Amino acid sequence: MEEVKVVLDNETTQFIVVRLGDEQYGIDIKYVDNIVRMQHITRVPKVQEYLKGVINLRGEVIPVMSARIKMDLPADEYTKSTRIIILKLEQHGTIGVIVDEVKEVVTLENQQIDKVAYDSKEEKDYFIFGIGKYEDGGLISLLDLNAVVLDKDSI
Amino acid sequence: MDVSQYLEIFLDETKEHLQSLNTEILNLEQDPENTDTINEIFRAAHSLKGMAGTMGYKRMQNLTHDMENVFSEVRNGTIKVKGNMIDILFQCLDALEEYLNNIQETGDEGTNENEPLIKLLNDVLDSKEGGEPQTEKKTQPKAEASDGDGAKWKNIKFDDTQKRVLSEAVDQGKKVYGITVKVQESCILKAARAFLVFKALEELGEVLISNPSVQDIEDERFELDFSLIFVSDSSLEKILDSIKSVSEIEDAQGALVEDEQIGSIAAIETDKSTAPAVVAEEGENAPAAEKANQPAPAPKAAEKKAPVSKPVVNRTVRVDIEKLDVLMNLVSELIIAKNSLVSASVGERNNSVNEHIEYLESVTTNLHESVMKVRMVPIESVVNKFPRMIRDLSKKLDKKMELYMSGEETELDRTVVDEIGDPLMHLLRNAADHGLESGAVRKSKGKPEVGSIFLDAYQDGNNVVIEVRDDGAGINTAAVKEKAIMKGVITPEQGENMSEQEIINLLFSAGFSTSEVVSDVSGRGVGLDVVKSKIESLSGEVEVKSKIDIGSTWTIRLPLTLAIIQALMVDVGGEKYAISLGSIQTIEDIIPSDIKTVQNKEVIHLRGIVIPLIRLSEVLDIASKKNPEDNMTVVIVKKGDRLSGIVVDELMGQQEIVIKSLGKYITKCKVISGATILGDGEVALILDTNALF
Repeated sequence: MEEVKVVLDNETTQFIVVRLGDEQYGIDIKYVDNIVRMQHITRVPKVQEYLKGVINLRGEVIPVMSARIKMDLPADEYTKSTRIIILKLEQHGTIGVIVDEVKEVVTLENQQIDKVAYDSKEEKDYFIFGIGKYEDGGLISLLDLNAVVLDKDSI
Repeated sequence: MDVSQYLEIFLDETKEHLQSLNTEILNLEQDPENTDTINEIFRAAHSLKGMAGTMGYKRMQNLTHDMENVFSEVRNGTIKVKGNMIDILFQCLDALEEYLNNIQETGDEGTNENEPLIKLLNDVLDSKEGGEPQTEKKTQPKAEASDGDGAKWKNIKFDDTQKRVLSEAVDQGKKVYGITVKVQESCILKAARAFLVFKALEELGEVLISNPSVQDIEDERFELDFSLIFVSDSSLEKILDSIKSVSEIEDAQGALVEDEQIGSIAAIETDKSTAPAVVAEEGENAPAAEKANQPAPAPKAAEKKAPVSKPVVNRTVRVDIEKLDVLMNLVSELIIAKNSLVSASVGERNNSVNEHIEYLESVTTNLHESVMKVRMVPIESVVNKFPRMIRDLSKKLDKKMELYMSGEETELDRTVVDEIGDPLMHLLRNAADHGLESGAVRKSKGKPEVGSIFLDAYQDGNNVVIEVRDDGAGINTAAVKEKAIMKGVITPEQGENMSEQEIINLLFSAGFSTSEVVSDVSGRGVGLDVVKSKIESLSGEVEVKSKIDIGSTWTIRLPLTLAIIQALMVDVGGEKYAISLGSIQTIEDIIPSDIKTVQNKEVIHLRGIVIPLIRLSEVLDIASKKNPEDNMTVVIVKKGDRLSGIVVDELMGQQEIVIKSLGKYITKCKVISGATILGDGEVALILDTNALF
């Protein structure tokens, strides 16, 4: 009975928790179309460094980007747990983002999310719109997908 | 009555009728006496009126009704076609188009009554010239149909083969009859009645000749009567009776054609007791008078002037373009599936599997071609409106000019045809406004006063080429250069080093217009760069060539198909790339020592032509896996009439590929035009060889 009440009082958002290097990041589940294993990526020449190329996803050609390179982290090392998260953004279409590992799905109430104010956004926090607080005290950075996916110039 | 479900059809058909009216009225201006044209106009106006009425668009109906009245008088010869009348008619068409646009956007025709136009039309009607021209016109058709009012079959002419067939029939003891059948005026399904007549006749004998032709009759393209030459054993009465047993047939008359007179077609009148009796019953005077009034019916006129005869209209079905897109996508999927089957069977030395796969391959290729063809429409629908536009421009700019078009039947993908209209219109307006000089200037240059603009379309390999050409002043490169420097498009130093062609290409840069005065027609400076980007968005390209005082030629090159192409697969540094077969000229094996250097660029000398070399590995930022000492594989590609040699590591063979877009994220890569999925599921990129030049 108590749980239901909580849900009614507070809107919740589900996030997929992924690992990039040592940090945990959250991706809003409503933009996630699919999660696929690492596969052969066809390189496309003469594009931004973070665009790794294109893959064949069930007959569709989908561009794939490296979140690490985009966020100025060390370049990807592909392992068994590397995954491509296929995101579907309304305006810009489908794109795959390479992450080191997909951990779990968490449900956060709005009051568990601390929004990062825009004016306090430093370069490092550019890709983050908020911090999510776990029930057990853990923290995840919530990714601003538009900032991750799009070119800085075109935002 | 709810007619909304017919709205789409109404819009489509009205557009068609308006277009044909436009064309025919233009023809009429050239050849005011052509009865064929007048009839065509009358018919179109009449259908337009009927459709507008059915749909409840009263204002549209009123306007077309008055137009029809004018045409009707023209047809009867009581009004002569004059210049200002043509202008009024064109204004009416514009007004109708306005109604149509309103209907398309809001579902309502709007409130514009167009009273001034209707008044103008009525003025035309009032100015009816009596007397001479009227009688002149009337006498001729009267003479034609004078002997025996209903016996139009006498006007049928025989050619040699038909004469031979007729005399053979007579030799066999059969009788040759000439018959004219008249359908009741109230009859709705004329073609169906005619069909029943034919069916009845076929039981008794054989119809040798019909006028109008059987096809025309089936398509209901005849007035109220049609004539036949009929071979049979039966008696005339029996034949006529069986015709008249078909309902809604007003009258049938016939007579025996005698064989020695087949050439001159004299005839014996029918047994007067049967046929005329029926005629009298149904009212002999009305049809006879009406016939005399009509200046030679359309089919007959067409027969005399064979070249202008109307094309036989094929049966068509209107299909939603989205349904075709779905079909096209399915075919694409099928081809991908087939490709994976092909690659899965490689290595298996099983002949019967290979045979089946080859069969599948040919079926899918044919299927693809057919689907492509379904989507192809002639560019006619777009270019048809241009003669009218040039005519208006000619008046507005006060320059005399003539538009010559060829290749209207050239076909392009429907989506491309829809998009190509605006760019073409821009180029034509440019040619008329900037290209052609005024009459006085032309005279002083020793050119004919009337300027010519040419619009030519033709297929060239996998491309369709559309050329807009004028015999005007050509492009003044000095003026262009000056303007470009002034507008800051280039620096003066850059200008010094530019070739003529490069300067001409500046015209395509954004915000460029050389016309000093911004005119109604062109010169807002948003023209040519828009043309260029539009064409490029259709995967095409546009080029311009110009000679001072000779004229300019704008060439648009468009790919025939957008979705599936034949491509050559090549390997560069271990990566696979596809090159469209359409752009490949030849493939050459080149010894490294044959490479020369000209102006720091590598070139090869091939059969008398110097061709610049492009090392694909450098363009694509990848290391070639080939030993530089070995012979090189060079794919010679063409863009327009320029050639370029592309150095690749290895050829992998030809394949049918389905073009997929790279999406919105990957936009910086100009040399890649798309991607495709290979049989093994791998993605290969498609090279845009045009971007390499």
